Amino acid sequence: MYRVFLSWRFLRSRRTNLIGVFGIFLAVGALILILSIMTGFLEETRRSARGSLSDLIITLPPYSDSRRPRDPAPVLELLRADERVEGASAHLGWMCILTRQDERSLRILVDSQSSEIAGIKLTGVDPATEDDATEFRPSLDTVGRDENGDIVAPRLRVANLADPFAAPPEYDASVGRPRASVIVGEKVMTYHGLRRGSFITLMTAVPDPASDTGWSAKKREFVVAGCFRSGENEIDLERVYIDRGQLARFLSGVSEDDALPQDSIHFSEVLVKLKDYERDAEAARAAFGAQLFRAGLIDESCSIRTWEEFREALLGAIENERVLMGIMLSLILVVAGFTIFAILSMMVTEKRRDIGVLTALGATPRGVLVLFLLIGFWDALIGALFGAVAGTWMALEIDPLERKLSETFGVQIFNREVYLFDSIPSVVTPLAVAAIVIGAFVCTLVFAAIPAWRAANLDPVEALRNE
Amino acid sequence: MSESGDIVLCARAIVKRFESGDSELEILHGIDLDLRAGERLALMGPSGAGKSTLLHILGLLEHPTYGTVDLDGRDAWSLSTQERARLRNRYIGFVFQFYHLLSELDAVENVMLPAMIAQSRGEFRLDRRAHLAKARDLLSNFGLAHRLKHRPAQLSGGERQRVALARALFLDPPLLIADEPTGNLDRDTGELVLDLLFRAQQERNLSLLLVTHDERLAERCSRVLRLEAGSIVGAVSGRG
Ligand SMILES: Nc1ncnc2c1ncn2[C@@H]1O[C@H](COP(=O)(O)OP(=O)(O)OP(=O)(O)O)[C@@H](O)[C@H]1O
Ligand SMILES: [Mg+2]
Repeated sequence: MYRVFLSWRFLRSRRTNLIGVFGIFLAVGALILILSIMTGFLEETRRSARGSLSDLIITLPPYSDSRRPRDPAPVLELLRADERVEGASAHLGWMCILTRQDERSLRILVDSQSSEIAGIKLTGVDPATEDDATEFRPSLDTVGRDENGDIVAPRLRVANLADPFAAPPEYDASVGRPRASVIVGEKVMTYHGLRRGSFITLMTAVPDPASDTGWSAKKREFVVAGCFRSGENEIDLERVYIDRGQLARFLSGVSEDDALPQDSIHFSEVLVKLKDYERDAEAARAAFGAQLFRAGLIDESCSIRTWEEFREALLGAIENERVLMGIMLSLILVVAGFTIFAILSMMVTEKRRDIGVLTALGATPRGVLVLFLLIGFWDALIGALFGAVAGTWMALEIDPLERKLSETFGVQIFNREVYLFDSIPSVVTPLAVAAIVIGAFVCTLVFAAIPAWRAANLDPVEALRNE
Repeated sequence: MSESGDIVLCARAIVKRFESGDSELEILHGIDLDLRAGERLALMGPSGAGKSTLLHILGLLEHPTYGTVDLDGRDAWSLSTQERARLRNRYIGFVFQFYHLLSELDAVENVMLPAMIAQSRGEFRLDRRAHLAKARDLLSNFGLAHRLKHRPAQLSGGERQRVALARALFLDPPLLIADEPTGNLDRDTGELVLDLLFRAQQERNLSLLLVTHDERLAERCSRVLRLEAGSIVGAVSGRG
């Protein structure tokens, strides 16, 4: 009985113990807060790392000698028939160079130091089915709005979301030859100084067996129907959406209004959205591979990948960063534990006589050990409890807290623009909180064990000999 | 030698050596000692003779280099640490020269400390009322009824020693060991504490082992042993 009673008394009688409690409190609170924000950041990054990627991506390189059907319909049909599939859509991707009739284009072309812009990934989509598998329309709709969601820049937006590739209202179709619409990434828009209704020229090369180089160049003028924002820098800087049929016409050199020849390139990848990615991804991938192969719709040159495989390196780095961060931040706990070690060591020296008295009155060395361990235990209990509550509360309320602080001091602490976040991301995982609290206990007890062990092995006679 | 009463403590051939560097220093050279129930034994001798060392060995606080200490009919130094601690708790009451109260506890709590050590949390809670009553009783008997809630720092030396005495008696141990209990007190206060000590010893028929430099005090004991340079040089039967 004396262990609990005395440890509590000893704890309360020495103000210095508050330092230990406060240290644990700070460490646990800070760890929870920082790890929550870190987790929030990482999850946000992970989400934007996924970006516009669908669950499964089937890549079908459109080689001219392949015996696969040119049209995506049979592939889509097979996939949509599977009950695990939420939706599927076909893409045709092609690398291009974007130019305009102004000096800026030239400046961009000659700027060898620029890390900003590379080629344009012209992406042909079917507007009717694209949303089955990707976040196409939402990425159009977020453009040109302010914080409250009010539209402030209508000239950036696609005029008609139901028919995004319709000619923009600014476009006068009677002037010159007809032009197909494109929707460019938000950064492409600003970088090239485009507006809705602007004309751009896209240039590329396509395989051509008749040519002596095997390739022939293509170039065509398009009208900008608006822009999109995926939130992913690279995509907003490189991607340009176009109707898939129009891209096929561009590549095969057929005019905008004419019918598409059978031998033209129709699609290069199929995107699949699953009903339950976590559950089905692996099984579905294997099944689709087998089925498509048996139906002669894919061959060895094709691949089926999950979005995570596409981003393997990045996701690995993110996870790595989280673990590393956790380890580095755990050092705070070690520091707090060390404070307790120092305070308890002082206490054992100070209480030598009391330890001797307790031994004389019948306490065992083990009892004395437990007594001092318990002091560490109380430190950890109070500190970790309040720290967990305070840390969790701060983590949950960090966004309004930061806003209030910024307002009060007139300094912006967190620049939301820089990170493309609307609010400070923070995710409190109960498991992490539990791990931190347990870590605090373990750390404290390990550090408390050293002075406690010293107390238990004290010679009672020496402690009692003198006043 | 008093022939009445059972043997409470029986020490044989106690040798104590201290190692200091490479040389060994023998402080006690084979001490034999018997103590019977109800006996009052005074241990006298010059400073440095080894009185405190002997007391610590008999009180199971310090390991003898050789020799045996039988308490309660058991060879105490061959018991496990656990059992020896229990024996110290139940069988021996200590009174020190410097009181050695715990400064964080008030008088009543200090007195109850042996029971706290003896019992688990649950047991102590069950007996709490009885313990409290007993501690108050003891302290009141020692004239400290108005000091129950005071911390040691708020008490005088004599008062502290009376609290320490109450603590030593709390579990009714058959053996009391006191190392110069009045060594730190003025004469009158010392007398008062001794009267209480002897009265308690008589009422409970305890064995008392007392180290003192005070000849007059020794006269009030049933037996006096003289320890000089680690050996017993003479035994005198007192008035007792
Ligand atoms: N741990 C130790 N190491 C070495 N020598 C020790 C140790 N403890 C005690 N001694 C020595 O043993 C001798 C006896 O000491 P002890 O305290 O028993 O004497 P004492 O008779 O009680 O004296 P006093 O009357 O002054 O209290 C002393 O010379 C002391 O220096
Ligand atoms: Mg002494």
